Amino acid sequence: MKTERNELLNGLEGLYSKGYTYLVKIYAVDYVKTLEAVYVVRNMEEAKEERLEVELDPSDAWVPSAMRVYKAADWYEREMQEMFAITIKGRQAERLLLEKWNGSGAPLRKNFAWSEPYEKMK
Amino acid sequence: MQISSLLAIAPFLPASASPGSALGELVGIVEYAIAVAVIIIVFDYVFGWLERKVVAKIQKRHGPTYAGKYGILQNMADILKLLSKQHMAPANSDKPLFLATLPIMLAVTLFLVLLIPFSPTLSGSSSGFVLLVVLVLVSFMPLMIFVNGFASGNKFSAISAERSVVMLLSYEIPLVLVVATAAALAGGYSLNGIVGAQSQLWYVLLMPIGFVIFFIAMLAELERPPFDMREADSELIAGWLTDVSPPYYVLALFLDYSRMLLGSMLIAILFFGGWEGPVLPPIVWLLIKVFAIAFFIMIVRATMVRMRIDRLLRFGWLILLPLAFVNLIVTYVLLIG
Amino acid sequence: MSTRINIGPVHPSTHGVLRLVADIEGDTVLRVEPHIGFLHRGVEKLVENRMYMQSPAYMEKLDYAAPMSYDELYVAVVEKAMGVEVKERAQWVRVVLLELQRIASHLLWLGTAANDLGQFFTLFMWCMKDRDMILRLLESASGARMFYVNMRMGGLVQDLPPGFGGGARDVLDYLERRVKKYEAYLEKNPVFMERTKGVGVLGKEDAINLGVTGPVLRASGVGYDTRKDNAYYVYGKLSFRPQTRSEGDVFARYRVRMMEIAESIRLVRDALDRMPDGDAIGMPVRLITTGAKNREASASRETPRGEGIMYMVADPQRPYRLAIRSPTFVNLAALTHIAKDCRLADVFAILGSLDIVMGDADK
Repeated sequence: MKTERNELLNGLEGLYSKGYTYLVKIYAVDYVKTLEAVYVVRNMEEAKEERLEVELDPSDAWVPSAMRVYKAADWYEREMQEMFAITIKGRQAERLLLEKWNGSGAPLRKNFAWSEPYEKMK
Repeated sequence: MQISSLLAIAPFLPASASPGSALGELVGIVEYAIAVAVIIIVFDYVFGWLERKVVAKIQKRHGPTYAGKYGILQNMADILKLLSKQHMAPANSDKPLFLATLPIMLAVTLFLVLLIPFSPTLSGSSSGFVLLVVLVLVSFMPLMIFVNGFASGNKFSAISAERSVVMLLSYEIPLVLVVATAAALAGGYSLNGIVGAQSQLWYVLLMPIGFVIFFIAMLAELERPPFDMREADSELIAGWLTDVSPPYYVLALFLDYSRMLLGSMLIAILFFGGWEGPVLPPIVWLLIKVFAIAFFIMIVRATMVRMRIDRLLRFGWLILLPLAFVNLIVTYVLLIG
Repeated sequence: MSTRINIGPVHPSTHGVLRLVADIEGDTVLRVEPHIGFLHRGVEKLVENRMYMQSPAYMEKLDYAAPMSYDELYVAVVEKAMGVEVKERAQWVRVVLLELQRIASHLLWLGTAANDLGQFFTLFMWCMKDRDMILRLLESASGARMFYVNMRMGGLVQDLPPGFGGGARDVLDYLERRVKKYEAYLEKNPVFMERTKGVGVLGKEDAINLGVTGPVLRASGVGYDTRKDNAYYVYGKLSFRPQTRSEGDVFARYRVRMMEIAESIRLVRDALDRMPDGDAIGMPVRLITTGAKNREASASRETPRGEGIMYMVADPQRPYRLAIRSPTFVNLAALTHIAKDCRLADVFAILGSLDIVMGDADK
């Protein structure tokens, strides 16, 4: 399902009330022109899955935090924020989860600058 | 001036020393100390090797095999390696206290082994109150661990120090009660007397509950699993030994095995008739019993899961203490009164 | 007044490079926060720059305690993207290998978890020795002891060697006896029961909301198992039963894993009996490089640690984006909630019961 980011939380809450109580994964894909954040939720009783896809503008990428609905969103959101520079609004800023570096940029975006040795390798 | 009055161990002069001159007394003390030191060192070394081998066998490993026959020199190699490393104390530790505690503990333990008789003739003290002295100094150990843990300035050591005191609270009273019962049975706090009283029947048969309590408390005293919460390697890294430098760690190992010897000797003397036994000389009998007990402690070490510290407190006060009283009362009613 | 202690990343029971920051008050832990990322290798980025067939070896290093399961997971998602059917015999062989891998992983878990509880390496050594028998089986099937790279799109790199079935049955008979002994050994030990029962309780609602997965989820009374509810390969034909417990404590997690070992042994025996003959070799490499048909694909597999899912956006030659949902990552995220107001020693019991592999969490 495609959705707007303003409708995202309503969509998630609607799904939650329909029994989709398990958050499987939040991930993002960089299509260069747009970013896409994907929320996968699951109904544990019936073993059914739903996807919510939110299109984002790479220069103004933010989504509301889903932690209000799913506690499991915590680390997924932090990972997404770190890897795609998609700001998560409505939750406190946290330290970096996966990376221990001082560089800048979003590693999993397609325009991420590779480090020097790799460029030389090519 | 009499030399014996200068020495703190005056009441515990060796029975074997010639009572004549002061010089003779001193020579006797030194001779006895050297003999016991040799016994301790040999025991500690053999025990360290044996523990590795026994635990390895239980774990279906080979243990040390490379250095020497059956890996007997492996511990020597380890000691040399540890001694060759840099000695240091952490910057935020209370250095004098931190560095002094381990040697003091070792000295106290060795002194205790000196006091305990190996046989009627090989005996460090003829005093009638040796067992009391031993008990007091044994409960001194956890306090030294407490001091060391806090002095090291490491948070893990500090937690270990706290645990040390909690452990002391949980097992010390049952331990003393059982010892008091044994002393009452023998009619005195002299170890020779206690062994003599067991020439007919071992105390382990007279008061089995008492033996179980004493054994559990001794395991806790010796920091052996399941009561190794002070060292708890999977929780506190190494507990109070976390910041100890390698050369000092040799002392800690030495201390560990000396305490093991001490504990095994106490168990053997209090419950298994000490050096009493047919044919073989007394000291051999004692060492056989000591090794058998140590062997059992090793097996317990290899099989048990560590207890939790709050559970130990509960276990000590709700199970060990009532049982110790039951032991005391039953023994008094049936055997003494 | 609370003290903040730093546990790890170098610590005997953090299973690699996990760092925990714990606020403790006396012996009570107020809050534990896991800090991960010390083993972050950026695998998701790495595979974007490699052909499909170059990546399984990377995937195996994610979960080094159960490499076969990740190998298979990655190959499965590529198969979905390329629209390749897995050959009939290959499906059976994969089930056999994956279940053997699960037994090996659970045995390793049992040993390390006992270590976390303060066992002096005894169970660890026994389990390692037993696990080694399975590793030998997997070695005979793939040629490598630890990192197999035995899966290829559409099938396997090589079929099972002759005599594999007999050897596997012998090992399973032996393991069945051993595992029963371990169970008796642990469950007759009052200290073990005391350390695990009622410790680190995670209720059913919380378990779902926190998104925990695998044995941790099933120990909390949720009967979700990908092998059953989203059945792949021949699990449907093998009448697989998910193993659940309702208590949600450390003991329940231990029991679930032990029951899963028994169930896996049953599955492997069954699969070995009913395995058809035929060809199990996967596609030649030159065909794999010719392109993916589907733009988006996802595969979900029950790895030993829980449900591993890969979402792939596929380019013809290489993954455009591969999002990995690793089970340790989600289970570890729940540690803060599980280990609340417990004793310091319990933190390690709980951590051990989550069965973490840091390579898996850090990606």
